[in-house]
Amino acid sequence: MSNHAPFRISAQRGGALAVAVHVVLLFCVLAQVVYLATRHRVRVDLTSDKIYSLTASTRGLLQKLDQRLVVEAYFSPKDKLPVNYRETRAVLDNFLDELVQLGKGKVVLKRYDPNSDKAIADRCSRIGVKPADLKSTSSTSLSVDRHWQGVRLVYGGKHKVLEMVAPPSSFVAEATITPAIKEVITETKHRFGFMEWPVMAAGQQNPGGIGWNVLRTIDQIAKRYEFQNYKDEDSPLLPADLETLFLFRPRDLTDRQKYVIDQFVVRGGTLVVFADAVEYAIGPQRQFTRIPFQLDAPGSARKLVDQLAHYGIDWKPKVLADIVQQAHTPRDVMTAPFEYLAVQENTQFGARFGWTPYPYFFHPVATDWSLVADQLARDDDGKVDAAVADQYRKTFGPGLPADDFLFKTFKQLGRGPGLYWPTWVGLREKAGGVPDMPEGVTGRVLMQSSPAVLAEDPPANLDPFGRGDPSARSVQYQKFMQNLKGRFRSEPRMQAPLMVEVRGAFTSFFADGDRPKRPSEIKEEEARKAAEAKKDEAQKPADPTKPGEQGPPPPEAGKAETPPIPAEAAPVRKGDKPGRIVMVGDADFLRDDFVRGDMRQAGGPWSALAGVFFLQTLDWLAEDRDLVDLQARVPVDRTLKFASDEPVAANDARVAEQTLRRRTNWLRGLNVVLPCALLTAFGLVVWFVRRAQKRVFLDSLPN
Amino acid sequence: MREGLVIFRRELRSYFLSPIAYVFGGLFLGILLFVASASSLQNGAQANMQAFFGLLPFLLLLFVPALTMRSWAEERKQGTIELLMTFPVTGAQLVLGKFAAAVAYLAFVLVLTLGLPLTLAAYGRLDWTPILGSYLASVLFASSFVAVGMFWSSLTRDQIIAMLVSLVTLLALYMLGYPQLIELMAQWLPAVCIDLLNGISPYKYFESIGRGVIDTRDIVYFACFCGFFLYANTLVLQARRQKG
Repeated sequence: MSNHAPFRISAQRGGALAVAVHVVLLFCVLAQVVYLATRHRVRVDLTSDKIYSLTASTRGLLQKLDQRLVVEAYFSPKDKLPVNYRETRAVLDNFLDELVQLGKGKVVLKRYDPNSDKAIADRCSRIGVKPADLKSTSSTSLSVDRHWQGVRLVYGGKHKVLEMVAPPSSFVAEATITPAIKEVITETKHRFGFMEWPVMAAGQQNPGGIGWNVLRTIDQIAKRYEFQNYKDEDSPLLPADLETLFLFRPRDLTDRQKYVIDQFVVRGGTLVVFADAVEYAIGPQRQFTRIPFQLDAPGSARKLVDQLAHYGIDWKPKVLADIVQQAHTPRDVMTAPFEYLAVQENTQFGARFGWTPYPYFFHPVATDWSLVADQLARDDDGKVDAAVADQYRKTFGPGLPADDFLFKTFKQLGRGPGLYWPTWVGLREKAGGVPDMPEGVTGRVLMQSSPAVLAEDPPANLDPFGRGDPSARSVQYQKFMQNLKGRFRSEPRMQAPLMVEVRGAFTSFFADGDRPKRPSEIKEEEARKAAEAKKDEAQKPADPTKPGEQGPPPPEAGKAETPPIPAEAAPVRKGDKPGRIVMVGDADFLRDDFVRGDMRQAGGPWSALAGVFFLQTLDWLAEDRDLVDLQARVPVDRTLKFASDEPVAANDARVAEQTLRRRTNWLRGLNVVLPCALLTAFGLVVWFVRRAQKRVFLDSLPN
Repeated sequence: MREGLVIFRRELRSYFLSPIAYVFGGLFLGILLFVASASSLQNGAQANMQAFFGLLPFLLLLFVPALTMRSWAEERKQGTIELLMTFPVTGAQLVLGKFAAAVAYLAFVLVLTLGLPLTLAAYGRLDWTPILGSYLASVLFASSFVAVGMFWSSLTRDQIIAMLVSLVTLLALYMLGYPQLIELMAQWLPAVCIDLLNGISPYKYFESIGRGVIDTRDIVYFACFCGFFLYANTLVLQARRQKG
């Protein structure tokens, strides 16, 4: 036996070696398989909103290419990048490869390494691709290296440079690069006209402070759309080729301005109005005090409200408050409670801003409110009035009833843009709510509030807190909310329209009289009259008692040194082309300081969704659907709601909180205990079955 | 195939007949669901299972070695492995049968956690398909851990050693998927090694499937990973069989 031992050991060693070789070879083969699988992969995005797939926007844009789109990628080597940047390169590489694949020959990707060739680095500097000096550390050294990750898109004679792209996900890569592709392939910019009446910010001396410059000038909008200000009441009518005119917060409108707008609409233009019924100054401690504001200029014979009613729009210059909590809760209560109104509060983690309900700042909720008719029809005892509920079911509808692509993103979000002290903008109705649209004009409501809205004439202040110490402010706030709840109990349920659209061949609001004169015409007429008066005066025999009046003769009328007034087209009484008016019952949500979020540090408000709404309105008006799917790709609101959002206000916040806590604890307990109990029960069943089997077996045995 | 199925049934039955499976299952479910429920079930939170699937890999890392340590070591300790070797089954069938039984047991435990997504769906708009994708990823992830655990169990007679070595191996594999560690390692290792090490970690692929994207690359990776360790396991068995 001992003689065989060396052979056995040798055999064992050989066996071990064979196993080792086997394992190493297998490892190599499998590594190769994984590598090949990485190169030729098929992926299926299971998310319901397809957040990890390219949207139809990118695919559609690539299909529209009629020339070659050259994508110049100025990338320094990936393996030299710091680790945290390497993943962004992988994402970008994947995205660009997918673009090339989808482009079917129309997209060409050219890669350059600016670190390897100085000529390329110089070219980068010329075209605007910028390097990033990033820190790299190793066990022995610390170095700052220059890295490049810029992209230039070239299409025809146009190009667009993305100086440094580091997308953490494919979602961000697409959101960055696809709009750039859209920009570079856009041949002509769509032109919009606007009239703007800026307001003064608190403490500002000169007019022209808060306008809506931010939205008009952001890159994504300014590169695709052109805006021109037409608020010059002395010029002739608006140019015939202007299709769309925005009125941003109209105020102090003269009859001449109203006439220009009227003729624009009657001749088939599209008028978009963002209107406020009132203006409040925002004090440092969120004091909202009404400041003078009037829609019509002093001496104006025609009212703007009447003019809009003439076209079929019923504008009630009231201020609205939506009591439903869902409507006035910010989109992200935790991280951006100042979207509407937040108050600094001291917590165990230090001072932080906490959202404070303020129903005058709210958004339309996409919910179909007819579904909660029963809840709305409950009396104080909680009984449902069947007749009232039935009526509510017929009357109430969704907050975002239109299917237009303008609302695709907002329906995804489950809410419209936030509005601040909005006003009622509906369709003209007769008594009893019967539509009363002008002949040949149709209209529809595009956004509306919940049925728990309150409308009132704008009060002198809408300050929820008052000016006292913190406890007095708290008491004042309670009173403020109680007042609203009291009104809610006593006033009828209704939904307030917040945005409408009317279309059709409009008749002129000025059809029954002469057109208002332009200021220069008025001046000219006054000058002529004065000249005639002087001429008459001069022709009278001289009064010997007034020797000093014998001067040179006045200049003749018509020879004045004023430039000639350009002629204006004759008024059109009834349009032959259909016009269109879109009116939104708020302008504050687009104003610069709200959009920029200047007041975030003080507790808000911050108009978070204004940019999205405005950009999509432009696309909607221009009927440009290219980026709709990309913009509509927003995370769906999946908020857990253990407590209902019933419009009936909670009687006691403490009771509601306790109920919520009980329910939460119960759900948590159930989720932990039930599976463990099921497993235990299964174990017991197995044990009993086994015991029974054992007994049967033992019984079957002979003694 | 039939022989493998017999082994699978035998092993699965042994799990459910042993009190250890219930203790293991109860503890696993208790810890996982307690932490995940406390984090996910909050009024105003988003209806997703990030907390659950965030904790799951770590718990699997702790529990799977405890589950697999006995798969071969116990057989060897009790001397039943010799009996097994005499069965008319191949080494591969034995390995696959045991592997499938352990994975089936873990899948059973995971099924018991479905109450959480059901609760989330009842109170919020839960996106079900990524959740199902995450469950699939969890099963694949658990499978890879089972394969590693069984391999180490086949190499030693001592269950504790099998468990400890499995734990260390799995911890290393798990950590290699962590960007922070990779960043730290980048200070010493060249980029190629970093990419290779990062590519080995099952955690990276778990995350990829777990977010709701089924990618053939990830599936192939898990198949290869399990295949490698199961094959190595089979080789060990064959070597032992030849050794007699």
